[in-house]
Amino acid sequence: MDPVVQLRKVSVRYGNSNGGLTAVADVDLSVMPGEVVSIVGKSGCGKTTLLKVIAGLVRPVSGEVLFNNKGVNGYSKGVGMLFQSPLLLPWRTVIKNILLPIEIINGDLESYLSRAYELIEKTGLKGYENSYPWELSGGMQQRVALCRALIHKPPLLLLDEPFSALDAITREEMWNLLQEVITYEKCTTILVTHDVREAVLLSDRVVVMGGKPGRIKSELMINFRRPRDLMVQYTKEFNDYVVMIKNLIGD
Amino acid sequence: MRSKKVKIINPILTLLTIGVFWEFVVRTLNIPNYVLPSPSTIFSTAAKYSLYLAFNLLDTLVAALMGLAIAAVFSLALSLPLAYSEVIRDSIYPLITGFNAIPRAALVPLLALWFGLGAVPKVLTAFLIAFFPILVPTLTAMITMEKELWEMLQSFGASKGQILTKVAVPRAMPYFLSSLHMGLTSAFVGAVIAEMVASDKGLGYVILSSTSRLDTPLAFACLILLALTTFVISKVLSMVERRVVKWAYRVNI
Repeated sequence: MDPVVQLRKVSVRYGNSNGGLTAVADVDLSVMPGEVVSIVGKSGCGKTTLLKVIAGLVRPVSGEVLFNNKGVNGYSKGVGMLFQSPLLLPWRTVIKNILLPIEIINGDLESYLSRAYELIEKTGLKGYENSYPWELSGGMQQRVALCRALIHKPPLLLLDEPFSALDAITREEMWNLLQEVITYEKCTTILVTHDVREAVLLSDRVVVMGGKPGRIKSELMINFRRPRDLMVQYTKEFNDYVVMIKNLIGD
Repeated sequence: MRSKKVKIINPILTLLTIGVFWEFVVRTLNIPNYVLPSPSTIFSTAAKYSLYLAFNLLDTLVAALMGLAIAAVFSLALSLPLAYSEVIRDSIYPLITGFNAIPRAALVPLLALWFGLGAVPKVLTAFLIAFFPILVPTLTAMITMEKELWEMLQSFGASKGQILTKVAVPRAMPYFLSSLHMGLTSAFVGAVIAEMVASDKGLGYVILSSTSRLDTPLAFACLILLALTTFVISKVLSMVERRVVKWAYRVNI
Protein backbone atom coordinates (compact mmCIF):
# COMPACT_ATOMS: atom_id res chain seq x y z
CA MET A 1 0.00 0.00 0.00
CA ASP A 2 1.16 3.51 -0.78
CA PRO A 3 1.16 6.18 1.88
CA VAL A 4 -1.56 8.83 1.77
CA VAL A 5 0.91 11.54 2.64
CA GLN A 6 4.65 11.57 2.22
CA LEU A 7 6.97 14.36 3.30
CA ARG A 8 10.52 14.17 1.98
CA LYS A 9 13.18 16.45 3.46
CA VAL A 10 10.64 19.20 3.96
CA SER A 11 11.85 22.57 5.26
CA VAL A 12 9.72 25.64 5.84
CA ARG A 13 10.82 29.22 6.29
CA TYR A 14 8.68 32.11 7.37
CA GLY A 15 9.51 35.66 6.38
CA ASN A 16 11.76 36.75 3.55
CA SER A 17 14.99 35.24 2.39
CA ASN A 18 17.40 37.42 4.34
CA GLY A 19 15.56 37.84 7.64
CA GLY A 20 13.42 34.76 7.92
CA LEU A 21 12.93 32.04 10.44
CA THR A 22 13.25 28.38 9.61
CA ALA A 23 10.25 26.80 11.29
CA VAL A 24 10.70 23.21 10.17
CA ALA A 25 13.82 21.50 8.83
CA ASP A 26 14.36 18.25 6.95
CA VAL A 27 11.20 16.47 7.96
CA ASP A 28 10.51 12.99 6.59
CA LEU A 29 7.13 11.55 7.38
CA SER A 30 4.81 9.02 5.78
CA VAL A 31 1.29 8.28 6.83
CA MET A 32 -0.35 5.07 5.66
CA PRO A 33 -4.06 4.72 4.76
CA GLY A 34 -6.18 4.35 7.85
CA GLU A 35 -3.35 5.27 10.15
CA VAL A 36 -3.76 7.73 13.02
CA VAL A 37 -0.59 9.70 13.63
CA SER A 38 -0.10 12.28 16.36
CA ILE A 39 2.50 15.00 16.26
CA VAL A 40 3.50 16.22 19.70
CA GLY A 41 6.05 18.75 20.88
CA LYS A 42 6.52 21.98 22.74
CA SER A 43 4.74 25.03 21.40
CA GLY A 44 6.70 26.67 18.61
CA CYS A 45 8.29 23.40 17.52
CA GLY A 46 6.66 23.61 14.11
CA LYS A 47 3.98 20.97 14.49
CA THR A 48 1.17 23.19 13.29
CA THR A 49 3.38 24.37 10.43
CA LEU A 50 3.85 20.77 9.42
CA LEU A 51 0.10 20.27 9.40
CA LYS A 52 -0.31 23.34 7.20
CA VAL A 53 2.29 21.99 4.80
CA ILE A 54 0.29 18.79 4.51
CA ALA A 55 -2.92 20.77 3.99
CA GLY A 56 -1.14 22.73 1.25
CA LEU A 57 -1.60 25.98 3.15
CA VAL A 58 2.12 26.57 3.54
CA ARG A 59 4.68 25.83 0.85
CA PRO A 60 7.98 24.32 1.86
CA VAL A 61 11.16 26.06 0.71
CA SER A 62 12.72 22.71 0.00
CA GLY A 63 11.70 19.09 -0.02
CA GLU A 64 8.67 17.40 -1.44
CA VAL A 65 5.12 16.82 -0.28
CA LEU A 66 3.30 13.95 -1.91
CA PHE A 67 -0.40 13.45 -1.49
CA ASN A 68 -1.53 10.07 -2.80
CA ASN A 69 1.79 9.97 -4.67
CA LYS A 70 1.12 13.32 -6.34
CA GLY A 71 2.83 16.59 -5.53
CA VAL A 72 0.85 19.14 -3.59
CA ASN A 73 0.28 22.12 -5.82
CA GLY A 74 -0.95 25.00 -3.76
CA TYR A 75 -3.87 23.70 -1.80
CA SER A 76 -4.38 20.00 -1.68
CA LYS A 77 -8.07 20.00 -2.34
CA GLY A 78 -10.31 18.10 -0.09
CA VAL A 79 -8.59 17.44 3.21
CA GLY A 80 -10.81 17.79 6.26
CA MET A 81 -9.61 20.14 8.96
CA LEU A 82 -10.59 20.65 12.56
CA PHE A 83 -9.13 23.45 14.66
CA GLN A 84 -9.23 24.37 18.31
CA SER A 85 -12.00 26.82 17.55
CA PRO A 86 -15.01 25.31 15.75
CA LEU A 87 -15.14 28.21 13.23
CA LEU A 88 -18.80 27.70 12.45
CA LEU A 89 -20.67 30.35 10.50
CA PRO A 90 -23.21 31.91 12.87
CA TRP A 91 -25.74 32.71 10.13
CA ARG A 92 -25.98 29.08 9.08
CA THR A 93 -27.85 26.32 10.84
CA VAL A 94 -26.03 23.16 11.93
CA ILE A 95 -26.99 21.25 8.79
CA LYS A 96 -26.00 24.14 6.52
CA ASN A 97 -22.66 24.51 8.30
CA ILE A 98 -22.00 20.82 7.80
CA LEU A 99 -22.85 21.03 4.09
CA LEU A 100 -20.61 24.07 3.48
CA PRO A 101 -17.71 22.05 2.00
CA ILE A 102 -20.12 20.37 -0.43
CA GLU A 103 -21.44 23.74 -1.55
CA ILE A 104 -17.89 24.79 -2.23
CA ILE A 105 -16.60 21.58 -3.80
CA ASN A 106 -19.41 20.64 -6.17
CA GLY A 107 -22.72 22.05 -5.00
CA ASP A 108 -24.30 18.60 -5.10
CA LEU A 109 -26.17 19.06 -1.82
CA GLU A 110 -28.91 16.53 -2.63
CA SER A 111 -26.67 13.51 -2.69
CA TYR A 112 -24.79 14.45 0.46
CA LEU A 113 -27.84 15.24 2.54
CA SER A 114 -28.30 11.68 3.74
CA ARG A 115 -24.62 11.51 4.63
CA ALA A 116 -24.97 14.73 6.61
CA TYR A 117 -27.84 13.22 8.58
CA GLU A 118 -25.84 10.05 9.12
CA LEU A 119 -22.95 12.06 10.58
CA ILE A 120 -25.35 14.08 12.70
CA GLU A 121 -26.76 10.84 14.06
CA LYS A 122 -23.30 9.39 14.70
CA THR A 123 -22.07 12.47 16.53
CA GLY A 124 -25.15 12.79 18.71
CA LEU A 125 -26.42 15.97 17.12
CA LYS A 126 -29.81 14.59 16.18
CA GLY A 127 -32.52 17.14 16.87
CA TYR A 128 -30.12 20.06 16.48
CA GLU A 129 -30.03 20.06 12.65
CA ASN A 130 -31.80 23.39 12.42
CA SER A 131 -30.26 25.03 15.46
CA TYR A 132 -27.74 27.81 15.09
CA PRO A 133 -24.19 27.20 16.32
CA TRP A 134 -24.47 29.85 19.00
CA GLU A 135 -27.34 27.95 20.54
CA LEU A 136 -25.02 24.99 21.21
CA SER A 137 -22.36 24.31 23.83
CA GLY A 138 -18.66 24.32 22.95
CA GLY A 139 -18.51 20.52 22.77
CA MET A 140 -21.57 20.37 20.53
CA GLN A 141 -20.10 23.05 18.27
CA GLN A 142 -16.93 21.00 17.91
CA ARG A 143 -19.07 17.98 16.94
CA VAL A 144 -20.63 20.08 14.19
CA ALA A 145 -17.14 21.11 13.06
CA LEU A 146 -16.12 17.43 13.00
CA CYS A 147 -19.11 16.57 10.81
CA ARG A 148 -18.20 19.44 8.48
CA ALA A 149 -14.61 18.16 8.29
CA LEU A 150 -15.86 14.71 7.30
CA ILE A 151 -18.86 15.45 5.06
CA HIS A 152 -16.97 15.22 1.77
CA LYS A 153 -15.28 11.93 2.70
CA PRO A 154 -11.82 13.50 2.85
CA PRO A 155 -8.92 11.18 2.18
CA LEU A 156 -7.16 12.78 5.13
CA LEU A 157 -8.37 14.34 8.37
CA LEU A 158 -6.13 16.99 9.90
CA LEU A 159 -6.74 17.92 13.52
CA ASP A 160 -4.99 20.90 15.08
CA GLU A 161 -5.41 20.86 18.88
CA PRO A 162 -9.10 20.14 18.33
CA PHE A 163 -10.05 19.51 21.93
CA SER A 164 -7.76 21.80 23.89
CA ALA A 165 -10.46 24.42 24.42
CA LEU A 166 -12.89 21.90 25.91
CA ASP A 167 -13.32 20.91 29.55
CA ALA A 168 -11.91 17.58 30.72
CA ILE A 169 -15.20 15.69 30.67
CA THR A 170 -16.25 16.95 27.25
CA ARG A 171 -12.75 16.20 25.95
CA GLU A 172 -13.03 12.53 26.99
CA GLU A 173 -16.42 12.36 25.29
CA MET A 174 -14.86 13.79 22.16
CA TRP A 175 -12.00 11.25 22.33
CA ASN A 176 -14.55 8.44 22.29
CA LEU A 177 -16.53 10.06 19.54
CA LEU A 178 -13.49 10.73 17.39
CA GLN A 179 -12.29 7.14 17.75
CA GLU A 180 -15.72 5.83 16.84
CA VAL A 181 -16.05 8.11 13.82
CA ILE A 182 -12.58 7.57 12.36
CA THR A 183 -12.85 3.83 12.84
CA TYR A 184 -16.18 3.81 11.07
CA GLU A 185 -15.00 6.16 8.33
CA LYS A 186 -11.62 4.41 8.07
CA CYS A 187 -10.15 7.88 8.03
CA THR A 188 -6.42 8.54 7.76
CA THR A 189 -5.81 11.07 10.51
CA ILE A 190 -3.05 13.39 11.61
CA LEU A 191 -3.48 14.97 15.02
CA VAL A 192 -1.39 17.83 16.32
CA THR A 193 -1.57 18.13 20.08
CA HIS A 194 0.43 19.08 23.14
CA ASP A 195 -1.56 16.68 25.27
CA VAL A 196 0.59 13.54 25.44
CA ARG A 197 -2.19 11.42 26.96
CA GLU A 198 -4.49 12.40 24.10
CA ALA A 199 -1.80 11.44 21.58
CA VAL A 200 -1.20 8.03 23.17
CA LEU A 201 -4.88 7.28 23.55
CA LEU A 202 -5.88 8.17 20.01
CA SER A 203 -3.00 7.25 17.73
CA ASP A 204 -1.20 4.31 16.16
CA ARG A 205 2.00 6.28 16.09
CA VAL A 206 3.28 9.32 17.96
CA VAL A 207 5.80 11.60 16.28
CA VAL A 208 7.82 13.79 18.63
CA MET A 209 9.04 17.11 17.30
CA GLY A 210 11.45 19.53 18.90
CA GLY A 211 14.30 21.93 18.50
CA LYS A 212 14.68 25.19 16.63
CA PRO A 213 14.09 24.79 13.75
CA GLY A 214 11.65 21.97 14.39
CA ARG A 215 12.70 18.48 13.43
CA ILE A 216 11.31 15.04 14.08
CA LYS A 217 13.17 13.75 17.13
CA SER A 218 11.66 10.30 17.28
CA GLU A 219 8.64 8.16 16.61
CA LEU A 220 6.86 5.66 18.77
CA MET A 221 4.32 3.00 17.85
CA ILE A 222 1.44 2.65 20.31
CA ASN A 223 0.56 -1.01 20.48
CA PHE A 224 -3.00 -0.92 21.69
CA ARG A 225 -5.82 -2.04 19.47
CA ARG A 226 -8.05 0.74 18.25
CA PRO A 227 -10.65 1.90 19.18
CA ARG A 228 -9.50 2.09 22.78
CA ASP A 229 -11.43 2.18 25.97
CA LEU A 230 -10.83 5.27 28.08
CA MET A 231 -9.83 2.96 30.94
CA VAL A 232 -6.66 2.06 29.06
CA GLN A 233 -5.32 5.39 30.35
CA TYR A 234 -4.95 3.88 33.79
CA THR A 235 -2.84 0.90 32.76
CA LYS A 236 0.90 0.65 33.29
CA GLU A 237 1.75 0.31 29.58
CA PHE A 238 -0.18 3.49 28.84
CA ASN A 239 1.70 5.40 31.48
CA ASP A 240 5.00 3.97 30.26
CA TYR A 241 4.22 5.41 26.82
CA VAL A 242 3.29 8.74 28.32
CA VAL A 243 6.46 8.95 30.41
CA MET A 244 8.60 7.89 27.46
CA ILE A 245 7.11 10.56 25.21
CA LYS A 246 7.34 13.22 27.90
CA ASN A 247 11.03 12.42 28.24
CA LEU A 248 11.48 12.62 24.47
CA ILE A 249 9.79 16.03 24.38
CA GLY A 250 11.55 17.18 27.50
CA ASP A 251 15.17 17.68 26.57
CA MET B 1 -41.92 43.75 31.00
CA ARG B 2 -41.52 46.74 33.32
CA SER B 3 -38.17 47.58 31.74
CA LYS B 4 -39.70 47.78 28.26
CA LYS B 5 -42.28 50.29 29.46
CA VAL B 6 -39.56 52.27 31.19
CA LYS B 7 -37.58 52.29 27.96
CA ILE B 8 -40.44 54.04 26.18
CA ILE B 9 -41.75 56.24 28.99
CA ASN B 10 -38.45 57.55 30.39
CA PRO B 11 -37.21 59.38 27.32
CA ILE B 12 -40.69 60.87 26.82
CA LEU B 13 -40.66 62.13 30.40
CA THR B 14 -37.20 63.61 29.87
CA LEU B 15 -38.38 65.32 26.72
CA LEU B 16 -41.48 66.72 28.47
CA THR B 17 -39.33 68.03 31.32
CA ILE B 18 -37.04 69.81 28.90
CA GLY B 19 -40.07 71.20 27.04
CA VAL B 20 -41.69 72.54 30.20
CA PHE B 21 -38.40 74.09 31.35
CA TRP B 22 -37.91 75.64 27.89
CA GLU B 23 -41.44 77.07 27.87
CA PHE B 24 -40.95 78.43 31.39
CA VAL B 25 -37.62 80.11 30.54
CA VAL B 26 -38.91 81.69 27.33
CA ARG B 27 -42.03 83.06 29.09
CA THR B 28 -40.40 84.34 32.28
CA LEU B 29 -37.45 85.97 30.49
CA ASN B 30 -39.75 87.34 27.77
CA ILE B 31 -37.46 86.08 25.04
CA PRO B 32 -38.80 87.27 21.67
CA ASN B 33 -40.07 84.62 19.28
CA TYR B 34 -37.56 85.39 16.57
CA VAL B 35 -34.69 84.64 18.97
CA LEU B 36 -36.02 81.53 20.69
CA PRO B 37 -39.63 80.48 20.21
CA SER B 38 -41.35 78.56 22.99
CA PRO B 39 -42.46 74.97 22.34
CA SER B 40 -46.10 76.04 22.33
CA THR B 41 -45.42 78.65 19.64
CA ILE B 42 -43.50 76.11 17.59
CA PHE B 43 -46.41 73.67 17.76
CA SER B 44 -49.04 76.22 16.90
CA THR B 45 -46.91 77.38 13.95
CA ALA B 46 -46.44 73.80 12.84
CA ALA B 47 -50.19 73.25 13.02
CA LYS B 48 -50.88 76.44 11.06
CA TYR B 49 -48.43 75.47 8.30
CA SER B 50 -49.07 71.72 8.51
CA LEU B 51 -49.90 71.20 4.86
CA TYR B 52 -47.04 73.40 3.65
CA LEU B 53 -44.63 71.56 5.98
CA ALA B 54 -45.93 68.16 4.93
CA PHE B 55 -45.33 68.85 1.24
CA ASN B 56 -41.84 70.15 1.86
CA LEU B 57 -41.03 67.30 4.23
CA LEU B 58 -42.12 64.85 1.55
CA ASP B 59 -39.74 66.53 -0.87
CA THR B 60 -36.79 66.26 1.51
CA LEU B 61 -37.74 62.74 2.53
CA VAL B 62 -37.91 61.44 -1.03
CA ALA B 63 -34.57 63.03 -1.93
CA ALA B 64 -32.82 61.74 1.21
CA LEU B 65 -34.20 58.22 0.91
CA MET B 66 -33.37 58.02 -2.78
CA GLY B 67 -29.87 59.23 -2.02
CA LEU B 68 -29.58 56.66 0.76
CA ALA B 69 -30.88 53.85 -1.45
CA ILE B 70 -28.40 54.68 -4.21
CA ALA B 71 -25.60 54.98 -1.63
CA ALA B 72 -26.50 51.59 -0.13
CA VAL B 73 -26.57 49.80 -3.48
CA PHE B 74 -23.46 51.61 -4.70
CA SER B 75 -21.47 50.88 -1.50
CA LEU B 76 -22.41 47.23 -1.48
CA ALA B 77 -21.64 46.82 -5.16
CA LEU B 78 -18.33 48.65 -4.84
CA SER B 79 -17.25 46.75 -1.72
CA LEU B 80 -17.37 43.45 -3.64
CA PRO B 81 -14.48 44.14 -6.07
CA LEU B 82 -12.65 46.06 -3.35
CA ALA B 83 -12.88 43.07 -1.03
CA TYR B 84 -12.09 40.63 -3.81
CA SER B 85 -8.79 42.06 -4.91
CA GLU B 86 -6.06 43.86 -3.03
CA VAL B 87 -4.87 45.38 -6.31
CA ILE B 88 -8.28 46.93 -6.97
CA ARG B 89 -8.42 48.06 -3.35
CA ASP B 90 -5.02 49.69 -3.53
CA SER B 91 -5.89 51.41 -6.80
CA ILE B 92 -9.32 52.76 -5.89
CA TYR B 93 -9.71 53.02 -2.14
CA PRO B 94 -7.22 55.90 -1.60
CA LEU B 95 -9.12 57.92 -4.20
CA ILE B 96 -12.41 57.30 -2.43
CA THR B 97 -10.87 58.34 0.88
CA GLY B 98 -9.47 61.42 -0.80
CA PHE B 99 -12.84 62.27 -2.31
CA ASN B 100 -14.41 61.91 1.10
CA ALA B 101 -12.12 64.67 2.34
CA ILE B 102 -13.89 67.19 0.07
CA PRO B 103 -16.68 68.99 1.95
CA ARG B 104 -19.61 67.73 -0.14
CA ALA B 105 -21.61 70.88 0.60
CA ALA B 106 -19.10 72.70 -1.56
CA LEU B 107 -20.16 70.58 -4.51
CA VAL B 108 -23.81 71.64 -4.44
CA PRO B 109 -23.37 74.79 -6.58
CA LEU B 110 -21.58 72.67 -9.18
CA LEU B 111 -24.30 70.04 -9.10
CA ALA B 112 -26.91 72.77 -9.48
CA LEU B 113 -24.97 74.16 -12.41
CA TRP B 114 -24.96 70.78 -14.13
CA PHE B 115 -28.39 69.45 -13.18
CA GLY B 116 -30.48 72.53 -12.47
CA LEU B 117 -32.48 73.30 -9.35
CA GLY B 118 -34.67 70.18 -9.27
CA ALA B 119 -34.47 66.98 -7.30
CA VAL B 120 -31.30 65.70 -8.98
CA PRO B 121 -28.70 67.78 -7.09
CA LYS B 122 -30.49 66.95 -3.82
CA VAL B 123 -30.45 63.22 -4.42
CA LEU B 124 -26.84 63.40 -5.59
CA THR B 125 -25.69 65.38 -2.57
CA ALA B 126 -27.48 62.97 -0.24
CA PHE B 127 -25.83 60.06 -2.05
CA LEU B 128 -22.36 61.62 -2.03
CA ILE B 129 -22.44 62.24 1.72
CA ALA B 130 -24.07 58.93 2.61
CA PHE B 131 -22.02 56.39 0.69
CA PHE B 132 -18.73 56.67 2.56
CA PRO B 133 -20.07 55.84 6.05
CA ILE B 134 -21.75 52.80 4.50
CA LEU B 135 -18.82 51.62 2.40
CA VAL B 136 -16.13 51.68 5.11
CA PRO B 137 -17.64 49.36 7.73
CA THR B 138 -19.05 47.04 5.05
CA LEU B 139 -15.69 46.67 3.35
CA THR B 140 -13.81 46.29 6.63
CA ALA B 141 -16.14 43.49 7.70
CA MET B 142 -15.62 41.76 4.38
CA ILE B 143 -11.84 41.82 4.44
CA THR B 144 -11.29 40.95 8.09
CA MET B 145 -11.71 37.27 8.81
CA GLU B 146 -10.13 34.82 11.24
CA LYS B 147 -7.01 33.35 9.66
CA GLU B 148 -8.05 29.84 10.60
CA LEU B 149 -11.44 30.27 8.96
CA TRP B 150 -9.69 31.37 5.78
CA GLU B 151 -7.35 28.37 6.01
CA MET B 152 -10.20 25.98 6.58
CA LEU B 153 -12.03 27.30 3.51
CA GLN B 154 -8.83 26.99 1.48
CA SER B 155 -8.32 23.46 2.73
CA PHE B 156 -11.43 22.27 1.01
CA GLY B 157 -10.51 24.19 -2.08
CA ALA B 158 -12.68 27.33 -1.85
CA SER B 159 -11.97 29.95 -4.49
CA LYS B 160 -11.66 33.62 -3.60
CA GLY B 161 -15.07 34.28 -5.12
CA GLN B 162 -16.63 31.49 -3.05
CA ILE B 163 -15.06 32.79 0.13
CA LEU B 164 -16.46 36.21 -0.72
CA THR B 165 -20.01 35.06 -1.41
CA LYS B 166 -20.29 32.29 1.20
CA VAL B 167 -18.51 34.00 4.08
CA ALA B 168 -17.37 37.59 3.58
CA VAL B 169 -20.69 39.00 2.36
CA PRO B 170 -22.99 37.34 4.91
CA ARG B 171 -20.46 38.25 7.61
CA ALA B 172 -20.60 41.89 6.54
CA MET B 173 -24.41 42.14 6.47
CA PRO B 174 -24.87 43.27 10.11
CA TYR B 175 -22.21 45.95 9.60
CA PHE B 176 -23.79 47.03 6.33
CA LEU B 177 -27.25 47.30 7.86
CA SER B 178 -26.07 49.19 10.93
CA SER B 179 -24.08 51.56 8.73
CA LEU B 180 -27.36 52.50 7.07
CA HIS B 181 -28.17 54.44 10.25
CA MET B 182 -25.09 56.57 9.71
CA GLY B 183 -25.95 56.80 6.03
CA LEU B 184 -29.50 57.85 6.87
CA THR B 185 -28.50 60.92 8.90
CA SER B 186 -25.82 61.77 6.34
CA ALA B 187 -28.35 61.55 3.52
CA PHE B 188 -30.67 63.97 5.31
CA VAL B 189 -27.77 66.35 5.91
CA GLY B 190 -26.99 66.16 2.20
CA ALA B 191 -30.57 66.71 1.07
CA VAL B 192 -31.13 69.66 3.45
CA ILE B 193 -27.84 71.34 2.49
CA ALA B 194 -28.68 71.02 -1.19
CA GLU B 195 -32.10 72.54 -0.53
CA MET B 196 -30.51 75.45 1.28
CA VAL B 197 -28.10 76.15 -1.55
CA ALA B 198 -29.99 75.28 -4.66
CA SER B 199 -33.70 74.68 -4.32
CA ASP B 200 -37.03 76.34 -3.79
CA LYS B 201 -38.57 73.33 -2.13
CA GLY B 202 -37.95 71.08 0.84
CA LEU B 203 -37.40 71.67 4.53
CA GLY B 204 -33.88 73.01 3.94
CA TYR B 205 -35.35 75.74 1.76
CA VAL B 206 -38.10 76.41 4.33
CA ILE B 207 -35.52 76.78 7.12
CA LEU B 208 -33.45 79.18 5.04
CA SER B 209 -36.38 81.31 3.88
CA SER B 210 -38.11 81.40 7.27
CA THR B 211 -34.99 82.48 9.18
CA SER B 212 -34.31 85.17 6.58
CA ARG B 213 -37.66 86.77 7.42
CA LEU B 214 -37.18 86.09 11.16
CA ASP B 215 -39.92 83.44 11.23
CA THR B 216 -37.90 81.40 13.71
CA PRO B 217 -40.84 79.27 14.96
CA LEU B 218 -41.27 77.84 11.47
CA ALA B 219 -37.55 77.02 11.26
CA PHE B 220 -37.79 75.21 14.60
CA ALA B 221 -40.83 73.32 13.39
CA CYS B 222 -38.73 72.12 10.44
CA LEU B 223 -35.90 71.00 12.71
CA ILE B 224 -38.24 69.05 14.94
CA LEU B 225 -39.89 67.45 11.91
CA LEU B 226 -36.47 66.42 10.56
CA ALA B 227 -35.45 64.92 13.91
CA LEU B 228 -38.73 63.07 14.21
CA THR B 229 -38.56 61.71 10.66
CA THR B 230 -35.01 60.39 10.89
CA PHE B 231 -35.79 58.92 14.30
CA VAL B 232 -38.78 56.99 12.96
CA ILE B 233 -36.88 55.74 9.89
CA SER B 234 -33.99 54.72 12.10
CA LYS B 235 -36.36 52.67 14.26
CA VAL B 236 -37.78 50.98 11.17
CA LEU B 237 -34.23 50.18 10.02
CA SER B 238 -33.47 48.65 13.42
CA MET B 239 -36.51 46.42 13.13
CA VAL B 240 -35.44 45.27 9.67
CA GLU B 241 -31.92 44.66 10.98
CA ARG B 242 -33.09 42.48 13.86
CA ARG B 243 -35.09 40.38 11.44
CA VAL B 244 -32.62 40.06 8.61
CA VAL B 245 -29.48 39.40 10.66
CA LYS B 246 -30.99 37.76 13.69
CA TRP B 247 -27.79 35.76 14.20
CA ALA B 248 -25.79 38.92 14.82
CA TYR B 249 -27.90 39.68 17.89
CA ARG B 250 -27.34 36.25 19.44
CA VAL B 251 -26.05 37.85 22.60
CA ASN B 252 -27.86 40.78 24.17
CA ILE B 253 -25.21 43.13 25.41
